[in-house]
Amino acid sequence: MSGGALSRPAEEEARGAFLAELQHRLPLETYVLALTVLVWVLLGVLSPYFWTAGNITNILRQVSIDAILAFGSLFPIILAGIDLSVGSVAGLAGVVFSMLIADAGQGLLVAFVATLAMGIAIGVINGWAIDRLGIPPFIVTLAGLQGYRGLALLLSGGETISGMPAGLQAFSLSSVAHIPTLFILMAVIGFGAHFLLAYTRLGRYMYAIGSNAEAARRVGIRVIHVTTIAYGLAALFATISGLLLVARLSMGSPTAATGSELAAIAASVVGGASLFGGRGTILGCFIGALLFTTIGNGANLLGINSFWQMVIEGLLIAFVVYFDNLQKRRQAGMG
Amino acid sequence: MRKVLLIAAAALGCMMLEAGVPACAQDFSKAKIDVIVKATTSQYWATVFDGARAAARVLGVQIATLGAPSELDAAQEVSITENAISAKPTGIVIAATNAQALAEPIAAATKAGIPVVVIDSDANTDQYVTFLATNNETGGQKAADEMARCVKARTGADTGKIAYLTALAGAQSLNDRDKGFLEGLKKYPGLTIVEHRVGNNQPSRALSDSEDLLTRHPDLVGMFADNELEGDGAGTALSEKGLGSKVCLVAFDTSDTEIKFVRSGIIDALIVQNPYMMGYAGVWYALAAAHGVVFPKYVDTGVSVVTKDNIDSPQMVGLLDPSKYVLTPFLGVQ
Repeated sequence: MSGGALSRPAEEEARGAFLAELQHRLPLETYVLALTVLVWVLLGVLSPYFWTAGNITNILRQVSIDAILAFGSLFPIILAGIDLSVGSVAGLAGVVFSMLIADAGQGLLVAFVATLAMGIAIGVINGWAIDRLGIPPFIVTLAGLQGYRGLALLLSGGETISGMPAGLQAFSLSSVAHIPTLFILMAVIGFGAHFLLAYTRLGRYMYAIGSNAEAARRVGIRVIHVTTIAYGLAALFATISGLLLVARLSMGSPTAATGSELAAIAASVVGGASLFGGRGTILGCFIGALLFTTIGNGANLLGINSFWQMVIEGLLIAFVVYFDNLQKRRQAGMG
Repeated sequence: MRKVLLIAAAALGCMMLEAGVPACAQDFSKAKIDVIVKATTSQYWATVFDGARAAARVLGVQIATLGAPSELDAAQEVSITENAISAKPTGIVIAATNAQALAEPIAAATKAGIPVVVIDSDANTDQYVTFLATNNETGGQKAADEMARCVKARTGADTGKIAYLTALAGAQSLNDRDKGFLEGLKKYPGLTIVEHRVGNNQPSRALSDSEDLLTRHPDLVGMFADNELEGDGAGTALSEKGLGSKVCLVAFDTSDTEIKFVRSGIIDALIVQNPYMMGYAGVWYALAAAHGVVFPKYVDTGVSVVTKDNIDSPQMVGLLDPSKYVLTPFLGVQ
C-alpha cells in the first residue's frame, strides 16, 4: 500500500517528463494542427452543415488562393525579411491578366505567360533593391504595397474588368475525383515549395541566411542570388493567386486582395514561422491558412458576428505567438 | 426633382425644346462650375462627371472636374476645395468624402459668395444651397418590396428566411440602405431575417460568406446585397451552386457582373441610383443659385428598380450605361 502511494508521484513525474520531452520535440505546427482539428470537431458538433460534402468543398476552394499567397510570403520571412507587397502584386496581376484578355484580345496562354513574367520581374526588382541597394525589406515592399496597387488602379481606371472567357470560371469550379482543382493546384505548388525549402541547397541557404546573414555570407553563400530568388518566388506566388482570383470571380478587380498580405503573414506566423528568420515550413503555412479559413467558415455557419470573428483571429495570432515563445524559452532552458 | 429643375431653368431663362439642344436667353460662357467628387478612379464618379458635362453643354458653361484619386482621402479633397475657392468659380458642386472634414471648406466657400451644391454625401454644415442625393433608406425599402415580390412569385407566399450582406462597416450610405431594408421588410412579417454578414468590400469575401450562408440555411429564400461588390460575390455564389432560380437576390448599384446576373436570372432586382442626374442637376442648380434662385435644402435624385423585364427599356439603359443616357426634352428629366 505504501509502495503504491510512493509510486504515484513518481509516475506523475515520469509522465510530466515525458510530456515535457514531447513538447520539446514537437514543432509548433503540431499544436496548430491539433487546434485546427479541434476546431473542426467542435464545428462538426455545433453545426450540422460543417461536415457536408458541399461545405468541405467550399473550405478547400476558399483556402487554396490564400494558402498560395501565404506560401509565397514565407520565403522572405525565412530570410528574416518580409514582403508587404504580395496583396498589391496579386491585384495588379489580376488587372493585367484580365485587361490583356478583355481589352487587348489576347489568348489565355499569352496573357498567362505575360502576367507571370511581370510577377517574376517585380520580385526580382524587390530582391535586388533589398540586397544590392541595402534598403530594408519592410520599406522596399511597403513602397510596392502602395505603388503596385496604384498601378492596378491606374491601368484599370479604378473599374472592374469583366468579359473573361467562361472556361476560366469553369476551371476554378472544376474538380478532379471530387477534389477541387484549385486545391490540387495549391497542393502541387505547396509540394514544390516544400521540396525546395527542405531538400535543395537553395532552400537550406535560405534558412542559413535567415539565421545569420553575416555567417552565411562568410561561408560563401551568394546572398544576393538567394534573396532575389526568395522575393521573386513571393511575387510569382502572389501573381498566381491573383490569376486564380480572376478565374474564381470571372473578373479583374484593381482592389482585389487588398490587405491580404497581412493575412498571408499571419498564416505563416501561426504556422510556426518566425519573423526573425530561419524558421518556418510550407506545411505550417498551409495549416495556418487552413485555420483562418476554418474560422471564417465556422463564424458564418454559426452566425457569429463578423466583428467578433476579427477579434477571435487577433486573439489567435497573439496566443499562438505567445505559446511559441514560451516553448522556445523552455527549450532554451532545457538545452 | 423635375419640378425643381424646371424652376431653375425658368429662372435662368432657358428652355430645352429638343433633346440636348439648349435655348438660353443669356450667354453663360463666362460662368465656370467646379465639380469635386470623392474619387476620380471610379465608375460611379465618372458617371457624375458625364452628367455634369452634359449640363455644361446644354447651358454653355465651363466646368472643371476635380477630385482625389482615391475615396476616403479627405485631406486632399479639403485642399482641392480650398484651391477652388481661391479661384472664385461661379459655383461649386461637391460630394463630401468625410462629413466633418469638408464642413468647414464648404462653409468657407459659401461665405466667399460661391454657391455650393452638395451631391451624394452630405457635410456637417447647412451653409450650402441644396443637397442633391439618393435617399438610401428609400432604396433599401424598395429592395424589401422587390424581395417580397420575388419570393411571392417563386413560392406563392411571402414567407421564408432572408439574409442580408453589408459590404463594409461604418459607411453611412450602406447603413441607411440596410436600415431601409429592415424597415421595409416589417411590412412582410412572414419574411424573417436569419443572418447578417459584414464583408470587407471585396467580392471574394462576399463569395465565401454567401457560400457559407447557403450551406447553413439550405432553405434560404432571399438575399440582399447592399452594394455592387457584395452583389457580384453573392451572385457568383448562387450561380456556382445553381440556386439562381431558388434564392431571390436583390442587390444595390450596378456593375457589369451584376447586369450579366440580372440577364441570366441570378439577380432578381437591382436598386440603382442616378449619379448622372447628380452631376447634371448639380451644375444647373449651382448656376441658378448664382443667379439668385433659392432651392429646397434637400432634393432626392431617386432610385430605380432594374429587373430582367425592364433592363432593356430606354430609361434603364441610360442608368446602367451613362454613355447611352438619353436627355429628353424638358431638361433631360423623365
